[in-house]
Amino acid sequence: MKKRTFGWNVMLIACLIMAISLPAWGKTIKIGVIGPMQSLEGRDHWNGATMAADEINAEGGVKVGKVKMKIELIKCDSNEDKNITDAANAMERLITNDRVDLIVGGFRTEAVFPMQDIAMDYKKIFIGCGAATDELCNRVGKDYKRYKYFFRGTPFKSSYLAKTSIMHLIACAGVIKKELDVPIKVALVAEKLSWTEGMVKLIQGYVPKLGYELVGTWQPSARATDVTAELSAIQKSGANVIFTVFSGMVGITFARQAGEFKIPALQVGINVESQKEGFWEATKGMGNYVFTMNTYVRGIEQNELTGPYMESYLKRYQQVPTYTADTYAAIKYALVPSIEAVGSLNADKIVAHLEAREYKVPSGVIKYEKNNEGVYTHDLTWGPGYLTSLGCQWQDGKLVGVWPNNWMPDPKNHPDLKITYKGMVPIKLPPWMKK
Amino acid sequence: MELIIFYFKKLFKILRNEVLVLPSRVVVGIFFIVLLGLPLITQDPYIIRIVILTSIFAIFAASWDLLSGFTGQMNFGHALFFGVGAYSSAILNIHFHLSPWGTVPLGAVVAVLAGLIVGIPCLRLKHTYLALTTLAFPLILLGVIIALPDISGGELGMTGLTRITNSLLGNYYLHVVTFLVLAIIMWKITDSNTGIIFHAIREDELAVKASGINTIFYKLLAFCLSGFFAGIAGGLYAHYMRIAGPSTLELSLSFTVVIYAIFGGAATIYGPIAAVFILFPLLEVFRIWPEYRMMLFAAVVLIILLYMPEGLIHWIRDKIEKECPRCKVRNVATRKTCRICTANLD
Repeated sequence: MKKRTFGWNVMLIACLIMAISLPAWGKTIKIGVIGPMQSLEGRDHWNGATMAADEINAEGGVKVGKVKMKIELIKCDSNEDKNITDAANAMERLITNDRVDLIVGGFRTEAVFPMQDIAMDYKKIFIGCGAATDELCNRVGKDYKRYKYFFRGTPFKSSYLAKTSIMHLIACAGVIKKELDVPIKVALVAEKLSWTEGMVKLIQGYVPKLGYELVGTWQPSARATDVTAELSAIQKSGANVIFTVFSGMVGITFARQAGEFKIPALQVGINVESQKEGFWEATKGMGNYVFTMNTYVRGIEQNELTGPYMESYLKRYQQVPTYTADTYAAIKYALVPSIEAVGSLNADKIVAHLEAREYKVPSGVIKYEKNNEGVYTHDLTWGPGYLTSLGCQWQDGKLVGVWPNNWMPDPKNHPDLKITYKGMVPIKLPPWMKK
Repeated sequence: MELIIFYFKKLFKILRNEVLVLPSRVVVGIFFIVLLGLPLITQDPYIIRIVILTSIFAIFAASWDLLSGFTGQMNFGHALFFGVGAYSSAILNIHFHLSPWGTVPLGAVVAVLAGLIVGIPCLRLKHTYLALTTLAFPLILLGVIIALPDISGGELGMTGLTRITNSLLGNYYLHVVTFLVLAIIMWKITDSNTGIIFHAIREDELAVKASGINTIFYKLLAFCLSGFFAGIAGGLYAHYMRIAGPSTLELSLSFTVVIYAIFGGAATIYGPIAAVFILFPLLEVFRIWPEYRMMLFAAVVLIILLYMPEGLIHWIRDKIEKECPRCKVRNVATRKTCRICTANLD
């Protein structure tokens, strides 16, 4: 009798567990979040996606036809920063074993290519949220039938990143001319890594066209712990703008030593380390006035969605989101509205709806580009009214937004068009430049 | 009909007298059967993918063993041959529109040339100096690749390669059969007179020279053969992944192949192959605990190397088989006397 009671109890518990978990695996939309989960980029992929899923599920889920479905996220560590084969295997596993309906993420370009191919083999929508290379979306335009399931989520393509850096240079040069009335002399300092080579060639070619003098190019190691030789040479060259292209620790070294020597020049360009909140501490305050490109900055609102997004993110994770956290926008503003509009999880229907949309996200407005033949490339449109990214500057211990601030994207044809995001402050020159 | 019966009887005889007498040979037989019959049990694309990649890396690991395990030419830059095979196949496929059926063997031929280029300067080097020199070659090639983005795709690599076949089963059997055939060829090479000379060079090069054998020729031959097999692995990898990128030349790949060989047991060919077939799928199993995945992998490798310094396969083989002290023939561990010379085994 005792044995029988025990057996019934086990069955009852099993049934209860089944009943509780049934809605979870019976009526959910499975979204795979793939990225290097042991690094900051992957963690932000996951953070953004989790926040989006929680918000949507709290509102009852996604309306697919007549049914409300909850979002179930599947976390997938691609390990792509270390192993490309691993990343491709992770994508295959995500699709064939975890049976996800949609995928967001990806970071390292070399890994995203095979991941993209695998997703396309299975006709799964994959929104890339990390790799910037143009070719990922060029593939969509070249072979639309196969690659149409791929969309760029963030950031905009690398050629637009370079274009934005030039805009930042022009903005800084404008301030120097206005306040100091001196000719602009640019020193180009790029870390010695392959990704900077294209950028170096572009800046070297573009600076003279702007009427500025390029006084020289310096390429220290990405891990350099001393750049005094470069700084001395830059000081002797008389440069008043230092265009930096840094992703490594040299960004901290360079900013700290330039601050210590009070080099009379404004640093502008890309300095990934200066995008992080720990930069001020790392440079012991010597990184003051460093200017860099960024996606999100505290207090800056590209549109009405930025504020609430930043507030929720900061409250939940106590840090400013990096661009890979735009998995949030990919799920909440790209995928979910399109699924609800077509009332189905049919990938072809979602693609047809999504590519034709123009929609707001916390970093701007997304509109998908077409190539010269009029075929969608699913790349992000850059420019005023769409996505521009931000220029930010360290000013007395705070990272503040400084660009676009009265930016005139087309002064010849539209002299009245000036772009300023809410919360922008003017660019500040280091006081020692004015002496 | 009589001929068929004759061959059938011969096969049965070989099976009974050569294969079934040793557990290690039975395991190899089962491994062949399982590998060839796996699609009858499952056609899960993920499992098929893992087995295909395992087969490719098994060729690669065995090719390292052929050079470094047997000849003792410690190569810490073996990814060079893999990368040369991958990039050559990719260039021929993308720029010259050659079919993968042609690009993979031609890529392997280019890898043979790479073997010669690496082998010649390495002839005068030994031990640490040789290891450090070989380490530099993939880094040099990486620099060349980054410097020629129009040809090599630069740091993004070459994408859009065509697959040899798009069928799941076609891909499976193509890679698995290629692996099995190449593994047998490599094993046969090491079992031949050439293999004995390779082995002798590793043990005492001076003695080999004193015997009138041209060690320079054999060392270069080892570099070229190793480059050929690694080049095939690289070409197969590039076409299967549809990309040939700088990761095919990374230092981590060169070290991974050394880990495989040492884990399984160097100078065996089957040791590194077994190691790849254990470690590569194991890394996938560890995805269950993504945070501890690499740590668990490292722990497994460390434990095995700590308690089985000769390699896992050597250790297992010594547990299940005994070598006859008189005729050196291997016997199952349960036997008291040698199956050939009847000498006492205990």
